Amino acid sequence: MSIVTVQLGQCGNQIGFEVFDALFNDSHCPGGLCSKRENEAYQASCKERFFSEEENGVPVARAVLVDMERKVISQTLSKAARSGRWKYGQHSCFCQKQGSGNNWAYGYSVHGPRHKESIMNLIQKEVEKCDSLSGFFIIMSMAGGTGSGLGAFVTQNLQDQYSSALKMNHIIWPYGTGEVIVQNYNSILTLSHLYRSSDALLVHENDAVHKICAKLMNIKQISFCDINQVLAHQLGSVFQPTYSREGSFHYRRNPLGDLMENLVPHPEFKMLGVRNIPQMSENSLAYSTFTWAGLLKHLRQMLISNAKMEEGIDWQVRPPLSGLPPLGKMSVNKETHFNTSIANLVILRGKDVHSADVGAFKDPALYTSWLEPVHAFNVWKTQRAFRKYEKSAALVSNSQSLVKPLDMIVGKAWNMFASRAYLHQYTKFGIEEEDFLDSFTLLEQVIASYCNL
Amino acid sequence: MGRRRRRQPDPADAARALPEAIAALSRTLPAAPSPEIFRRAKFDRPEAAPALWRLLFHVLSPLSADSASVSFTLVDGPPELASPIAEAQVRWVKSVLHSQGYPRLALVQLQDDGSQGGRELLLALAWLLARGPLPERLLTQSHVRLGDEMPVCECEALASPGPPAPRVEAEGSVDIRHLQWLMGKLQLRWRNLMAGQQEQCALLGKNPWQRIFCSTRLSWNLSGLQLLLLCGTCPPADLPAPQTQIHSYTRGCHSDRSLGHLSVTETELLRDPEGGRQLLQRLETENARLEAALEWRHRELVFWRWMDTVLDTCPLEASPPTFLPRIPEPGAGAAGLPVRELQALQEELQALQEELRKAVEARRAAWQAAVGGHGPEWRAARRALQVAVAQDLAALQWAWEQGKGQARPHGPRRLVRTEARVPGRLGLWATEATEALRAREACLEAMLHQLQGQCRQELARLVGVRPGLIWVPPPAR
Repeated sequence: MSIVTVQLGQCGNQIGFEVFDALFNDSHCPGGLCSKRENEAYQASCKERFFSEEENGVPVARAVLVDMERKVISQTLSKAARSGRWKYGQHSCFCQKQGSGNNWAYGYSVHGPRHKESIMNLIQKEVEKCDSLSGFFIIMSMAGGTGSGLGAFVTQNLQDQYSSALKMNHIIWPYGTGEVIVQNYNSILTLSHLYRSSDALLVHENDAVHKICAKLMNIKQISFCDINQVLAHQLGSVFQPTYSREGSFHYRRNPLGDLMENLVPHPEFKMLGVRNIPQMSENSLAYSTFTWAGLLKHLRQMLISNAKMEEGIDWQVRPPLSGLPPLGKMSVNKETHFNTSIANLVILRGKDVHSADVGAFKDPALYTSWLEPVHAFNVWKTQRAFRKYEKSAALVSNSQSLVKPLDMIVGKAWNMFASRAYLHQYTKFGIEEEDFLDSFTLLEQVIASYCNL
Repeated sequence: MGRRRRRQPDPADAARALPEAIAALSRTLPAAPSPEIFRRAKFDRPEAAPALWRLLFHVLSPLSADSASVSFTLVDGPPELASPIAEAQVRWVKSVLHSQGYPRLALVQLQDDGSQGGRELLLALAWLLARGPLPERLLTQSHVRLGDEMPVCECEALASPGPPAPRVEAEGSVDIRHLQWLMGKLQLRWRNLMAGQQEQCALLGKNPWQRIFCSTRLSWNLSGLQLLLLCGTCPPADLPAPQTQIHSYTRGCHSDRSLGHLSVTETELLRDPEGGRQLLQRLETENARLEAALEWRHRELVFWRWMDTVLDTCPLEASPPTFLPRIPEPGAGAAGLPVRELQALQEELQALQEELRKAVEARRAAWQAAVGGHGPEWRAARRALQVAVAQDLAALQWAWEQGKGQARPHGPRRLVRTEARVPGRLGLWATEATEALRAREACLEAMLHQLQGQCRQELARLVGVRPGLIWVPPPAR
């Protein structure tokens, strides 16, 4: 089954390119530590999901590129074409000349309705190329104007037009000390609208990824390109093919559907985070060996202590003793707190994957009281190694880890809202104070639900 | 001279005949224990009981023993090992036997932990075997299917309710978030199922010729490729076999001329040697079971004679009381005590029946009053209802009589793509099958709307009951 990607705004398009590049390069990676036949099956599965075939044999990404400025899209198209190995469809992009000025309301109320038909037509064309549609993967940022406002609008329209298809929004959480003054307004409006029309929100925080680049990848001058490549690596390790069942060697047909069924069936809990281990520059790879036990131990502690990378993990954080609630109900001000999960999905790729023991993730203490590990925890495996990593593990989790950042953003937005700062820029384009209040209510409800796990 | 001397029947043969008969039976049935267990069951030995409970469970369960009936643990080791059987399974077996009319009370009285009653279970098994062609029915259920099949009607699925789902013991209240989680999971799983079905339909119906001419990469292994090239077709590229347009590509390949093309399973067989080996193994096991079934039919007389001896060893059972027992006149003294108690019970039962009758009448009167009493509108409405029902019945009867001559679609059908205009004798056009399915779909949709309407009315009624309560409906999907 195929996934159609919608890349929105500067952020969405740049990340989208890196994602497709990572997926393609991984699937054509020679070796992969498995037999030729297995490799071919893996390639075929990846290809069917993310690429379609064109006459001259060059795979075309199943993507629609949308931006209100020309520059980024043309850069993206040319980068893809330059590689010669895959490309974007010539007619799969939509751009305008004017931009959105980092104004959510402009993206949502002006650009959206004005360009709705063209954009939905492009998406329709892409959907028709698929034999069967698994769902949509929408890449956008929260802080800007196009990605956030137009993204929310497009997601809503996808909900109306393709109500039976699944939608996952990949959201880039802005830097805490971001440059856009109104980024908190944009963020809360985006999140509240997406919570109503999307099925899952997969979040990547710029701050966290920045730290990974600095500490683990040892990059001195961190550019957006580096950040995007780390992001793409993490997404690739989630979406590349895995076996459909324990003991099967056939690849899963509907990863998006299976992921959502395992992680986000509850309408109040839709926020997902990704962690990946090991994360390092490819130069250092040759000098490192890992065991599954070590990787999984680190991954588990990363989950529990809400760390985003394998360095600087706080090993003091422990799960509460069984039967007792976690030490004090969560308050967002506590520094070290045990991160309770609702559901987790561990994805293992590489050598001897069948010997990996994930029992530590089945500990009921990790999970909320109303869901048992047998329902809350799943593991997907494949022998085929991801890129050059002999063993790698990814964790997609629905947990409390995003509560604190969310609370911060809501707090800051509320302070601005209370003093009516910059509101006129929104009301000018039809976003009234009621809409803001609705957003605050919904997000406070989400925060409360997660805190009360 | 040649008067042929009559061979004396070898006593050793006679001794062997029974175990061989039972062994044949064992090989036919799923999860059946060895002849030794049967022998022990005759003498009511405890080790025989769990194995026989398991056997009865598998025999009565509509799912075949191969498919994972995941709510219950299946036998892993040899059936003789006395691994514990779940109480729920024991109760279920008892209830199914009772519903099928099994007469012996002693079975119902056996303990739920499944530790005793080998002899009774043996009798129950014999009763099931005597009623109908049990081995043959089980073999049909677990038959290895080689064709691409599509179910046309659901009567089998509807008629046989499966084993009950394990009861969730609710300790106090259930967290509503858990229920919401399960509800959401169900909805998502349903959507995924629909998407999977649509994918399968789309891929089986796609026009393959463009792909053949456009694609250049062939990822089939050589043997499969050679075979198909010999048949004059060209395999498609890239997509794994089950998803390609097999029926068109493999035209002319099948040894059975009436079918004409290979099915997905058969093509996979050619393409994937490992899968082919597994399919071969399954076919071989099925063959072995079929042979065992034949052997059983030859030898079953011995088994029935032996079962007579088993019945003889059973203690005599009083005839099952289907009516209230005839109580003899109460005697004096201790002997009369149980009889007096029985009489008291009988009186109590009669009193209860009287009470029930009164309650039913009161309810009926109340309902009639609620509906509108015996006024003229009520009579008119009732008459209209009667007329409508009579019309429906007449329509049904007419429809049935019309359709009597045609072959009614039942059970799964093998999909065959053919150029021929005339369907085979037993065949069914795809259009007829889709018509039948569409009719069923319309019927189910109507039922769904009706149920939704009822739910809405119920909700409205509940809302009306508590005026201060605010109902927040979920966002419309």
